[in-house]
Amino acid sequence: MEKNNNWKAWLYLAPALILMGIFTFFPLINTFIVSFLKDYNSATGANSGFTFENYGRVLGITPVDAELGIYDNNFLSFTGPSALTNTLLITFVTVPISVIIALAISILLNNIKVCRKFLQTVFFMPYVTNIIAVGMVFSVMFSSTGIINRIFGIDGTNWIGVGASWGKSMFVLCIYVIWNALPYKILIFSSGLQGIDKQYYEAAKIDSTPRFKVATKITIPLLSPQILYITITSFISAFKEYNAIIGLFNRNYTTSGNVPDLYTVVYYIYDMLNSGTSMVQFACAGAVVLFVIIMLFTLIQMQISKRKVVY
Amino acid sequence: MEIRLIGLTKEFPGDPKKDIKPTTAVDHINITVKDGELIGLLGPSGCGKSTTLYMLAGLKEPTSGEIFFDDQDVTHLAPEKRGIGLVFQNYALYPHMTVYKNVAFPLTNLKVNEPMKNANILKYQKIIEILKEPQKLVDAITSSAYENKINKNFAIDSIANQYQVSKYVASELFKLNLHVSEDVLLKANEASAIYTEKLDKEIEKTKSKLAKKGWSITEKGLYLDRDGNLIPKIRRLSKDEIDALVREAARLVQIEDYLGRKPSELSGGQQQRVAIARALVKKPRVLLLDEPLSNLDARLRLQTREEIRRIQKETGITTVFVTHDQEEAMSICDDIVVMKLGVEMQMGHPQEVYKDPHNLFVAKFLGTPPINVFEGYIKDNKVYIGDEVIYRTPSKVDQQLKDGKVYVGIRPEGFISSEELTSTRTPRLTLNIDHLVTMGRDVSLEASHPCFKGDEIKIIIDSDLDVKLGKAKFGIKPNKMFVFDGETEERIYLK
Amino acid sequence: MLARKTPLITTKLNLIVPGKAKDVRTTQQKDNTLHILSLILIYAILIFAAIIVIFPFVYMILASFMKESVLTTGAFLPETNNLWEDITYNYTSTLERFSYLKYIGNTLVVGITTTLLCIIVTILSAFAFARLKFRGRDFLFTIFLGTMMIPGEMMVITNYLTLTNLGLISPNQNAIEAYSSMVLPFIASVFYIYLLRQNFMQIPNELYLAAKVDGKSDWSYLWKVMVPLAAPTLITVCILSLIGSWNAYVWPRQVTLNTNFWVISVAVRGEALTRLDPTGIRIPMSSWQMCASVLTVVPLLILFIIFRKYIMSGTGRAGIKG
Repeated sequence: MEKNNNWKAWLYLAPALILMGIFTFFPLINTFIVSFLKDYNSATGANSGFTFENYGRVLGITPVDAELGIYDNNFLSFTGPSALTNTLLITFVTVPISVIIALAISILLNNIKVCRKFLQTVFFMPYVTNIIAVGMVFSVMFSSTGIINRIFGIDGTNWIGVGASWGKSMFVLCIYVIWNALPYKILIFSSGLQGIDKQYYEAAKIDSTPRFKVATKITIPLLSPQILYITITSFISAFKEYNAIIGLFNRNYTTSGNVPDLYTVVYYIYDMLNSGTSMVQFACAGAVVLFVIIMLFTLIQMQISKRKVVY
Repeated sequence: MEIRLIGLTKEFPGDPKKDIKPTTAVDHINITVKDGELIGLLGPSGCGKSTTLYMLAGLKEPTSGEIFFDDQDVTHLAPEKRGIGLVFQNYALYPHMTVYKNVAFPLTNLKVNEPMKNANILKYQKIIEILKEPQKLVDAITSSAYENKINKNFAIDSIANQYQVSKYVASELFKLNLHVSEDVLLKANEASAIYTEKLDKEIEKTKSKLAKKGWSITEKGLYLDRDGNLIPKIRRLSKDEIDALVREAARLVQIEDYLGRKPSELSGGQQQRVAIARALVKKPRVLLLDEPLSNLDARLRLQTREEIRRIQKETGITTVFVTHDQEEAMSICDDIVVMKLGVEMQMGHPQEVYKDPHNLFVAKFLGTPPINVFEGYIKDNKVYIGDEVIYRTPSKVDQQLKDGKVYVGIRPEGFISSEELTSTRTPRLTLNIDHLVTMGRDVSLEASHPCFKGDEIKIIIDSDLDVKLGKAKFGIKPNKMFVFDGETEERIYLK
Repeated sequence: MLARKTPLITTKLNLIVPGKAKDVRTTQQKDNTLHILSLILIYAILIFAAIIVIFPFVYMILASFMKESVLTTGAFLPETNNLWEDITYNYTSTLERFSYLKYIGNTLVVGITTTLLCIIVTILSAFAFARLKFRGRDFLFTIFLGTMMIPGEMMVITNYLTLTNLGLISPNQNAIEAYSSMVLPFIASVFYIYLLRQNFMQIPNELYLAAKVDGKSDWSYLWKVMVPLAAPTLITVCILSLIGSWNAYVWPRQVTLNTNFWVISVAVRGEALTRLDPTGIRIPMSSWQMCASVLTVVPLLILFIIFRKYIMSGTGRAGIKG
């Protein structure tokens, strides 16, 4: 019989427990608490008690200045670009597109023999590069005198420079996010495809199944566990998009003018965090909102997948 | 359809870098499978039997040689163009599809060449006919009830099976709700009247449509051209036709009750049947089975192999069956091909091959318990085991045997105990009996002999005979004894 | 067998088995052409996609060879006359403004320390979760896993405040303060613990019992048996952790107020790669930015090409399990 070795086990776990206690569990609770504190000062810890107003202000319900009727619309706005709408837009544009492209590329890769390893390596390359550095490359490529404009013969189009329209900047941002998201997805799908028994394909071949039908009726359903995994993880990471914006736009949270039109939820959180000791509670409230949104989406996807991932 | 393999060869290239030598998996095989026969490719693993099957299927390209289906050269034809059904060793059922969808899958890719017709007319006629005996329909529905509750899907299945109609027609019949109406006959008549009206309308409509082209329509809904001929047309299968074919295949392999399940919810034997149904549903020219029984337990294996035989007989499809189990092949095949290291050793009717093995390998491979092989020699036209002569050329016969080492194989049932020996001319062999095992009618003896190759000599004799342990003389039935050359292991035919 | 009332084969449809209907030779030829055509199409699509994927890299390198005036015309290839001078000018100017070696050094220190400490902590905890029995093990593990669902931003805010209040984050922070604030929060990683625990669980129990019989302690069993057996996973963890450190941006930027301790990705967007215009305005120099990008990306690409197999199979494995 193996005996219970209680104290020994805790000793093995001690480093992880201490570190996680300080850097995971405590912050989690603290952030949650601070998001409900009125007039919190992060340097002193002083506050004037419990409130919902932090959330109200972040969500643009409670005015920043009641007398002047000023609201903070940077996080949520229904009339112009805001952190939350931008994030949702990035998520719902880039995730489906990148999943579909990655799926198509992986399936095509699975259909060839010559050069497969080489092409796989090429497609995986962007994964190991620095998102900030390559973002800078994209920003040079898309500058008004850059090579993209030259290739498409649209010299002078201002995609991402100062004064560029919100739509154009978003467009380039989405392209960059998709470009960045592809390699990991292709790799996961490719390893998933390798795991599918070749006999299914032989059976399909004997039944004269056309290639396209093999992909839609056999490959994709058999790959559904990987597709689910990828969709959930990329939804989460798209909700937290921030680095790509820094890479592309350097710390300009606006291109078009007054409104911080390139805010995302995480961008907003960091901006609040860096706006001095009296703004931290809003960063916390933003983080909690992000947490709730991610939770909701993950749960919804799990529910859907119960019906769709079918074996 | 007849299959001919002519000089079929498959070589796998080596890789000097990885120290892999080139191998010949299949070496100039010539096999003819007659139309409607079940042939077994038999041999130990690595003998090239599966490779041969895969070349037949078109999944592996032969290095040389030809494959003919009747007089059509299909050697380089893509697998999907060969019209074959293949049952894989581990079935390869699509895990995400129901049994129904699995079986229907091949059909969704096929086309038919059928005379043009109006399917609705046929359908209405069928429904009207069924409604003539409404009580039978109600019975079909109520008999499907489970725990006194009528489940729609079960009922539809029951109707479909009863009348051999598609589930779509069955569903329409079910929706008439005859089983809940108070006056079944009245309700049936009402429904019948509605369908008769529909039928008439449909016929009228079709007639006027066809009239423009000068075509006409038969009572069965078939279209006729100006000259009164049927008009064939190539088209995809309709849902109704697919359903009918799926149900037919399911009936054939007796899986009608599992159509709604996923493969993972079935037992090994049931999965096996589904795999066969999927292979058969498109009415292939050739059915190929790759070790179809190897994943089943012993009892199921016996059952399923009979089943395969039955299905093959009922459909009359030329079938090639790969197995390493000689008993399996012997019990169900019309012909067997014994293979060793890519070379065809012998082909023929199982009993013939058993009775008349061409070489030591075939003799050893067939039969349970296996044949007993002794080392012997030929000297002066006599065959010796040790110092006992077990065969001498009859004086009248002109036969010159070459002196030298030989192998003598004697089947377990080839021994005659001394009690039974009547003729003194029968050659004898002295063995040392070590064990006796009585198994009902027969007694199995385990014996030893200094010239025997292997562990134990196995002898099967009648249990009524009195056998004692220790040294005993046995007669040898001449037709159960084979002599093989010591070098080539080829059979030496004795007259 | 049950007696049958109805015949089994009832459907009389003329199914078209393709080979039956047409001449074999023409089908064969048609098949071959179709096959070749579809292969050409597949390769065309894949190569097109591959070009798009690597275009930014190629362009980055080429642009770092260009004169600023050429680059801003949107050219793809640098001018060939004076190419060498252009290259040396670009790179020396960049290196004058961009303390490359310092940043690389910082990145390596942070990356390697994080990875080493992370590996040790991961091994110890994974062993406890996989091998040892103690009260509340499964509960604790579930809680650990639960934290993976929570966005890191929830922690970052408080961690930043904690380290600030401890005085680790300030414009005049010293090396220890800067490095430890970059390393500490990332030593304990639930994902890696989970990955390694799964691997440890696959090691058969018999090995443990055999080691017990031989009088081995848990400690030596862990390091002599389990760790070598789990080497592939550990390599994966190392690689993922190193790549993660190299690409980390937000947290290092947040905590390194002293620019001497900037890591490379913070530096690459932070340094002023600008030129003073005669009118007194600072103009960003794209060619220099590209040089900095090359210097940031290329070491990682070289590592990737050397350890391609490990990185790809490791990441794939981690993904499938996670």
